[in-house]
Amino acid sequence: MSFEEQVDELERTVMSEKPFFSRPGGKIFIIWLILSVIGVLIGFYAPHHLLPAMMSSTGTDVFKTVVVFTVLAAPVAAFVYAVGIYSLIAWRHKGDQDEPPEDGPPMHGNGPMTVVWLVVSSLLVVVLLVWGLSVYMAQQVSHPNTLQIDVTGRQWLWTFKYPGTGVESRTLVLPLDRAVEFNVTSVDVTHGFWPVALGNQVDANPGEVTVIQTTPDKLGKFSVRCSQLCGLYHAFMYSSGSVVTPTQFSQWLQAQGVPPALADRTARIAR
Amino acid sequence: MVADSNLQVDQTDVGEEPGGDDRARPLGLILTVVIALAATVGIGAFFWSQTYQSPSGTQVAQSAGTAVVNGVTMPHVTLSFQSYPDANGSVNGVAIHPAGNPSWPAFGMTNVFQVPTHALVTVTVSQYDSGGALNNPWFARVRGTVDGVATVDGKVVTAVDPNNVGHTFTVRGTPGTDPGFFLNVPLPSVGGENQTDVGQHHTVVFSFVSGSAGTYAWNCEFPCGTMVAAFGGPMGAYGYMSGFMHVV
Amino acid sequence: MYVTTDVAPRLLEDTPLGPEAGGLYRRQNIWTGLGFGVFLGFVAWLISHALLQGSNWGSDMVVTVTMVAWVIGFNIGMGSFNAPIRWALGHDQTHQDELYAAGVGQGRSRYLKFCTDHKVVGTQYLVLVLVLFGVGGTLAMLIRTQLITAHSSFLSPETYNSLVTIHGMCMIIATIIMVSGPFTNFIMPIMIGAKDMAFPRLNAMSFWVVVSAVPCLLATFFLGGVDAGWTTYAPLTVQAPPAMDAFAVTIITFVVSVTVAGVNTIVTIITMRAKGMTMGRLPIFTWGSMIGGGLGLYAMPAFLLVMTLMITDRATGTSFFVAAQGGSGWLYENVFWVMGHPEVYVILLPPVAAMLEVASTFARKPVFGYKVVVASFAAVAGLSIMVWAHHMFTTGWAPDLGGPFMLTTELISIPTGVIFLSIIGTLWKGRIWTRLPMYFVYLFLWNFIIGGVTGIYLSDVPADQYFHGDMFVTAHFHYTLLGGAMIAATAALCYWFPKVSAKMLNERIGKIAFWMIAIGIQITYFGCSGRGSKECPVVWRTTTRSSSMPTRWPPVAPTCSCSDGSCSCTPCSIRGATGSRPRPTRGAPRPWSGRYRPRCHWRTSLWIRW
Repeated sequence: MSFEEQVDELERTVMSEKPFFSRPGGKIFIIWLILSVIGVLIGFYAPHHLLPAMMSSTGTDVFKTVVVFTVLAAPVAAFVYAVGIYSLIAWRHKGDQDEPPEDGPPMHGNGPMTVVWLVVSSLLVVVLLVWGLSVYMAQQVSHPNTLQIDVTGRQWLWTFKYPGTGVESRTLVLPLDRAVEFNVTSVDVTHGFWPVALGNQVDANPGEVTVIQTTPDKLGKFSVRCSQLCGLYHAFMYSSGSVVTPTQFSQWLQAQGVPPALADRTARIAR
Repeated sequence: MVADSNLQVDQTDVGEEPGGDDRARPLGLILTVVIALAATVGIGAFFWSQTYQSPSGTQVAQSAGTAVVNGVTMPHVTLSFQSYPDANGSVNGVAIHPAGNPSWPAFGMTNVFQVPTHALVTVTVSQYDSGGALNNPWFARVRGTVDGVATVDGKVVTAVDPNNVGHTFTVRGTPGTDPGFFLNVPLPSVGGENQTDVGQHHTVVFSFVSGSAGTYAWNCEFPCGTMVAAFGGPMGAYGYMSGFMHVV
Repeated sequence: MYVTTDVAPRLLEDTPLGPEAGGLYRRQNIWTGLGFGVFLGFVAWLISHALLQGSNWGSDMVVTVTMVAWVIGFNIGMGSFNAPIRWALGHDQTHQDELYAAGVGQGRSRYLKFCTDHKVVGTQYLVLVLVLFGVGGTLAMLIRTQLITAHSSFLSPETYNSLVTIHGMCMIIATIIMVSGPFTNFIMPIMIGAKDMAFPRLNAMSFWVVVSAVPCLLATFFLGGVDAGWTTYAPLTVQAPPAMDAFAVTIITFVVSVTVAGVNTIVTIITMRAKGMTMGRLPIFTWGSMIGGGLGLYAMPAFLLVMTLMITDRATGTSFFVAAQGGSGWLYENVFWVMGHPEVYVILLPPVAAMLEVASTFARKPVFGYKVVVASFAAVAGLSIMVWAHHMFTTGWAPDLGGPFMLTTELISIPTGVIFLSIIGTLWKGRIWTRLPMYFVYLFLWNFIIGGVTGIYLSDVPADQYFHGDMFVTAHFHYTLLGGAMIAATAALCYWFPKVSAKMLNERIGKIAFWMIAIGIQITYFGCSGRGSKECPVVWRTTTRSSSMPTRWPPVAPTCSCSDGSCSCTPCSIRGATGSRPRPTRGAPRPWSGRYRPRCHWRTSLWIRW
């Protein structure tokens, strides 16, 4: 048995005579518990205030992911903070700060602790990965009756074309509860197509068409931003968007000059 | 070798330096902070001096009674401004930018406008500058005006030749203003490359309905600046090819 | 002038140097460097201007040629190439020349010369890093000032975008060399018992090459500004003014320096350890330096490559990245991030390793899990070269690779977690001595956890497709690189400052600076992440009213500026401390003495003469 193991053994024997919550481990456990609870509460509370009200399937995925990941990360972060706080309270060298304290116990490591740490963090990674992949895979599934919209970025605005109707609009209007596929491209430099509350984005690359899809599931207005620096007036590259009922969508198409029959067909309304 | 000294194990432990001063000298610290602040303020002042201050201040739209647009009665106001090839205003003899770069094109006499909310605004632009082809022909169409038209020298148009555009007057709504607001009016160019400064101009007249209150930014979408892609100089500096429209 | 021991200076003074020793070195200093650099740059400008005037790509070619000529001229003038040229001419340097080049008998002036002494090079690097932080911090404050109000017209769009770019690159250059420059050069050879670095002349050259890159970077402001963001994504950079070429030359020059320094570090550690200093006994900082340097050798050449292609695209009309002519912006993005992600760990590993030394010293305990930590450093380095495409989840390039890159990105959190375990294990039952360096260790712990947790969301493809490109990401990487790496480097600076200067830092002033930094970072980047997660793209000249910080956080914006300013207070506190009379600590030259700080570098003598 090495010297440090003997010291540890001795310390363990001495410590074990005290009740659990009087020992450092017990006190750290209490701090950890409190911090974890705070972290988990933040995980449930903060996303409502930090994220916009999500209006689509992908947006809801983002919201759920943020909550789940925060809740999973909270105990780990809380453990590090708990040890840090406790070390400052209990193990701090008091007295003359100009005088160096005595040396601490010569612990060079702790095999079991390291193994536990590795196993726990690996398990967490597996959980994150499974969650992330399942959400990602689900987003890749293509839906029938998808509404196609051609998005074009240019310095410095977005335009949206509704194929088959001849409509080109500067605002993005989407029907409720209908999968929509954005075919995104750019005519000059790289832009970032970011319909914010839809919780999805993809770059608009010149000469390439990139595709994302989502299903709007709440009525309301949202904004469309450019998320990739694209020159002088990048900050003003902005469009407003709205999610409307299919009837309103058809009316909007008609207001853009689409014949009523075609508008209704595009909006999938049975006459 | 020089660095042999690294391995000289110091056995002597010199200890206290005679006359070592335990108190911090505040002067050095204060001087450092003052110099750092002065440097920051100096750099800030430099950039501030580069910021364009519109010499003519804000142009408040002139009232012209009321108008009826799509069956809605609203106040009617008028605005007028010009776009010049030179910021020194050689056309009418008054410099737009006395302290700025006189050879850059600029909107004048001011580029900050004030219009009332939800009013019909009739704008008269005198376009004196030459031009060329737009990067994005999309901006050659008139968008966001009443009926989607503008009048160029008395002729009603919905678009101009994208290869002969002098500037555009493009206003965007943003969150905090009226997000859906958008106005784009292309201003056709005068003559060829060298036919500037001779007083010829196009008169472009258009009307639009202003949105809700806020500060709207406007800019020119025709790359008329310096450097490779002509986005430098007047395009990127305040007061030449961009400005603000206050809606109150 | 305070010298802790007089052995070394006497050694140097007593070394007889002939009047011929040094040769050309005798006439070279920073002024000849500047002079010759400007001269050669001017000549190159005249020639290229005469030849290329009026051609399509003229201005780009002229700027490139002028900048390259400046860099070469400056280094010729400094003496970086003396030895190889003399060797090529058949008369190698004599021992006396080498002694002269090492600074023997030159007093303070050797700090402004080509000096091969690793301690001089380390000190030079330290000053350069602080200057670069000052420049980058000032730019950050200007950015913050612009963002105080909605529709501020403080900075023009062009200036604002250029400031963002140069702030980014200035800070990246500074953070890459902030520990591997000063402390790897100064401390590492002493730690392993080497007389100097393996290649002292390359070492000095690596420093003066970085110095010559800095004017190129700042020259961009006078060449129209690089308004393409710090990532300088390709189609936009084709529109950029000739400043882009100066920017690319800066990067190329910098990469040359980092590569040379990385090779030097690795060779030194592998070949020049003292007897008994086996690899298993290397201080943890040495491992951090070596793995960080090695990772730099992998990562940085990609940056050189991509910037060279950028110059050829702009100055000679090739089209690697121009989609309209068959190129691809995705090519640029891929090569850039092949550099970009490992580079984060090139920045992070040396300071973290240095901070473990600090934690060990002030907890009066050995580093917890030494071998596991070294293994996790290696694992981080190995994984980091396989994660680059997580910066490209939203570019539309290869959506099918989202899963694999999500896997590698999340795997990297396991070895990073081990580093946390090591820190808290080192603190465990220690005798926590809360001197100034230890404050920064705790601040690192606080910030880096937040940086890590925010990173989890960004590693997840669906969540990243929301967060990408907004202020949340800005907050995340400032928490890791400023709150993590730079704070760890500050801990190292406070810890080793007595070793470098034979003076103690003023702790009172240092603690004031500490609290300003600590609170400033939290306010700035909590604000950032809060606003950012509600649609605030990174590079915003003008925040619009609904998403500007001031509306929802009235006191935040001014404070944000202050916090960035507070970071600049660290150099201030150092200046304040050094402004006072030299204050040797008790038991000098071993100010933090103790049994489990068995680092021989504290026991070796100092020969600092200011």
